Amino acid sequence: MKKLLFAALAIALVLAGCSSGGKSDVIKVGWLGALTGDQAVWGENELNTVKMLFEEYNAAGGIDVGGKKYKLEVIGYDNKGDPQEAVNVTKRLTGQDKVVAIIGPNSSGNAIPMAPILEKAKVPDIATVATNPKVTVQDGKVKPYNFRVCFIDPYQGAVAAGFAYDRLGARTAAVLYDVGDDYSQGLREFFKLNFEKKGGKIVADESFNSGDVDFRPQLSKIKAANPDVIFMPYFFKEVALSANQARDLGIKQVLMGGDGWPSDQLISMGGKAVEGSYFVNHLDYADPAVQDFKTRYKAKYGKETELNGFLAHDAVLLLVEGLKKAGKVNGEALAKAFEGIDVQGITGRIHISPETHNPEGKDAAIIKIVDGQYVFQEKYAAQ
Amino acid sequence: MVQFLQQLINGLSIGSVYALMAVGYSLVYSIMNFSNFAHGGVIMLGAYFGFFSLTLLKLPFVAAFLLASVGTLAVAIIVERIAYKPLRERKAPFLYFIISAMGASILLENIVIATIGPTFRTYPEVFSKVPITLGPLAIGRLDLIIFAISAVCLTLLIFFIEKTKIGKAIQAASYNVKACALMGVNTDRVILTVFGLGGFLAGVAGVFFGMKYTVYPQIGNITTKSFIAAVFGGLGSLPGAVLGSVILGTIETFVAGYLSSQFRDLIAFVILIAVLVLRPTGIMGKVTEDKA
Amino acid sequence: MLAGINMIAVLGLSLLTGFTGLFSFGHAGFMAIGAYVGAWISASPASTPAGLGLPFILAIVGGGAAAGIVSYFIGRISLNLKGDYFCIATLGFGEAIRLIFNNVNRFGGARGWPGVPGRSTFLVILIADVIAILFLANLVKSRHGRNMIAVREEELAAQIAGINVFRYKMISLIISAVYAGVAGVFFAHYMTFIQPKMFSLTKSTELTIIVIFGGLGSISGSVLGALVLTALPELLRAFEIWRLVFYGAAVILIMVSRPKGLMGGMELTPSGIRKALAERNALREAKTKLLADAQSGEED
Repeated sequence: MKKLLFAALAIALVLAGCSSGGKSDVIKVGWLGALTGDQAVWGENELNTVKMLFEEYNAAGGIDVGGKKYKLEVIGYDNKGDPQEAVNVTKRLTGQDKVVAIIGPNSSGNAIPMAPILEKAKVPDIATVATNPKVTVQDGKVKPYNFRVCFIDPYQGAVAAGFAYDRLGARTAAVLYDVGDDYSQGLREFFKLNFEKKGGKIVADESFNSGDVDFRPQLSKIKAANPDVIFMPYFFKEVALSANQARDLGIKQVLMGGDGWPSDQLISMGGKAVEGSYFVNHLDYADPAVQDFKTRYKAKYGKETELNGFLAHDAVLLLVEGLKKAGKVNGEALAKAFEGIDVQGITGRIHISPETHNPEGKDAAIIKIVDGQYVFQEKYAAQ
Repeated sequence: MVQFLQQLINGLSIGSVYALMAVGYSLVYSIMNFSNFAHGGVIMLGAYFGFFSLTLLKLPFVAAFLLASVGTLAVAIIVERIAYKPLRERKAPFLYFIISAMGASILLENIVIATIGPTFRTYPEVFSKVPITLGPLAIGRLDLIIFAISAVCLTLLIFFIEKTKIGKAIQAASYNVKACALMGVNTDRVILTVFGLGGFLAGVAGVFFGMKYTVYPQIGNITTKSFIAAVFGGLGSLPGAVLGSVILGTIETFVAGYLSSQFRDLIAFVILIAVLVLRPTGIMGKVTEDKA
Repeated sequence: MLAGINMIAVLGLSLLTGFTGLFSFGHAGFMAIGAYVGAWISASPASTPAGLGLPFILAIVGGGAAAGIVSYFIGRISLNLKGDYFCIATLGFGEAIRLIFNNVNRFGGARGWPGVPGRSTFLVILIADVIAILFLANLVKSRHGRNMIAVREEELAAQIAGINVFRYKMISLIISAVYAGVAGVFFAHYMTFIQPKMFSLTKSTELTIIVIFGGLGSISGSVLGALVLTALPELLRAFEIWRLVFYGAAVILIMVSRPKGLMGGMELTPSGIRKALAERNALREAKTKLLADAQSGEED
């Protein structure tokens, strides 16, 4: 019985080993993100967006690089929202699949460990919604093969703190954050920094571990500190859980968050608990610049696109422009081409700074949850 | 003082969920003398059964609840038949049981991941989220209900074990299975009953856990804590399991509240090691024979 | 390559479980110690988190030694426990170690430590594997090895025969921990990124499953088991989700039908094969003789 099993496995091995040979005139681009796990909704959204855009380019005849026409092919892998898996997948994409560039991931915690492998393989990566500064710059040095199309957390933290202090009139704030996630840690740091700079006081600073489901001890402490506002810089699943538990404990304060919030599931899980809360987002969903993409996505996939779709869209734009500028299908040349490039994306102007590999001067939008809908409040620039 | 009381309530809230799970472990241990690691998987399935009963089948809460628990009862018995019975018959060393249990637990968790999918699900809101307030203290409605139903279930269980015939058989078997068989007790049926009871309670625990938090395939991992609680209270003793769970839940909450939430999980394992080293029979455990 | 790394840990665990009869659900903890100490020794002082920037070989030695030292203390506390209490204790320690690393921000805490130098080349791991196998094979054949097997078979009898049971359990534990620690160092330098949750109960269980799958008491079994069970999933990525389902089912099946695993008690060496064949022949002879005796008995 075991022998049969092994024989079958051996045959499967051989079959799996024979991958399709590389076709010429095709540019292979990698994508990684969460297709399973808590953030699967976002990952799926991104991959769908990339696929849709590539199909549109190919239908129009492909893209022109260095005088030759190329079709685009995306090779997407699931990183399960896990940094270790992200590392594995990156190795696979650069080693076996030999992609020229990678789009994604959306999470800073997954993007940061990829850097050494990208550098070794000379394959640039465009992170979609990873906002922690360490993704592109660490210890004052820019990482040559990491780029992104979104704003970064120092900015996001400043926006959140500024909004809380100036618009909401909050003078004291409590923070609850995920100690196991770079994004959450970073955003919390920057919120605190900016809030205190403005003159506010942080009265409670509680943490939890990724994967925790019970936040009552921390929330009870926060309640006792009686802050004006509670900042929750983490992802929608935990936000919904902690918001519900907060209301269970009788906490009535306004809640605030960052770009880890927006998702349909936040509303379906959080329901009344998140009603009246604010968060920082990358754009206004009602912005006319993004409507065309929204319609195309909905027409093709039958559901609304999430935040990630918009940024994945701009990542693709950046990639295509970069390839054209580089003039050849080569990772190293592409990385150099990205520096200083200027692309008009649907989420705003993306001008990649050579020093930081980040887009300079992107606006942030403040969104409020009203009656279970995301309602744009204003474009807020940190002062 | 208010903070203290509130944290106490928090501790009891999570402790009661642990208690429901821990009792299942203790029951099986008392008869079979091994730790049924597959119990976590059964609890997780209970959460899923309840979820689908409420959403797909659109049953009213009580019906869904019962359906889920009966479902887990069945699963527990199936696991016993497939993974443990053959080992029992071959009188395999108990360590093999643990390995088999681990296998079953991994199997259950990953079958769910592979078929239903690893994304979490949320229970529809069955009870109001508005807490009951006693002055500055807040007690969630769901927590009260969990507490009440757990108390009822556990009392019924203890009644069952003390007063019914098969309950007495279970007690006898927990002292010495072989002697019990010699006395004419159908030990196979006793074991089935024990697993069935454990399975039923697992279902109850699973549904409550799913309602309190969310439903996901890794729920089995949380039950490691309830296992620690059972050890702490004394494997093989039901009141011990409850006591251990409540105390563990409270200690955990206080550590998270007063020291740092980082140590919350760590303290559970520290307690485990301390118990094993200092008093392996736990708070109320029975003294088992030497396992040389 | 990953198979080669796992192999070292599995070999170590095999000594403890397969040859000395102690099951451990905490060996991932020793891997973690090895990984973190090793990373600390070899990571450059310029990276975040920073290391000492010393040569790789020191990292290997340091990681393994650290794991061994910790295992000594763990052993002192827990080796006196009976049977499944020991299992539970190892589970507790394994998880406790992981949680402690989660909180040590100096080493990156729960977010992990990226930028560990990638020193684990194929050649290095191959050499390490060979050394590991040779050392273990020699140990098992020696007097010490036989004592350990005696402990596994019947502890009480071994004690009466004058074997210092506790001492041999401890030696077995320490060696298995060192192996796991070294494996951890290689792991860290292969992934170039480590995070406490890589060393969880799941990993410990996986290691134990490989040992059982390969067969208790068989070095070649452990080698084969490590190769097959680690390499296979990488190649069958499409079936990744079902891999663990397969593991779980396989474990139950093995326990129920063939607890000896793939090569329980047998070795893939010339003498091993001869021994297995001899055993089978002896069994066959004994059976025929019994039958013959029974028949002649009836005729009387």
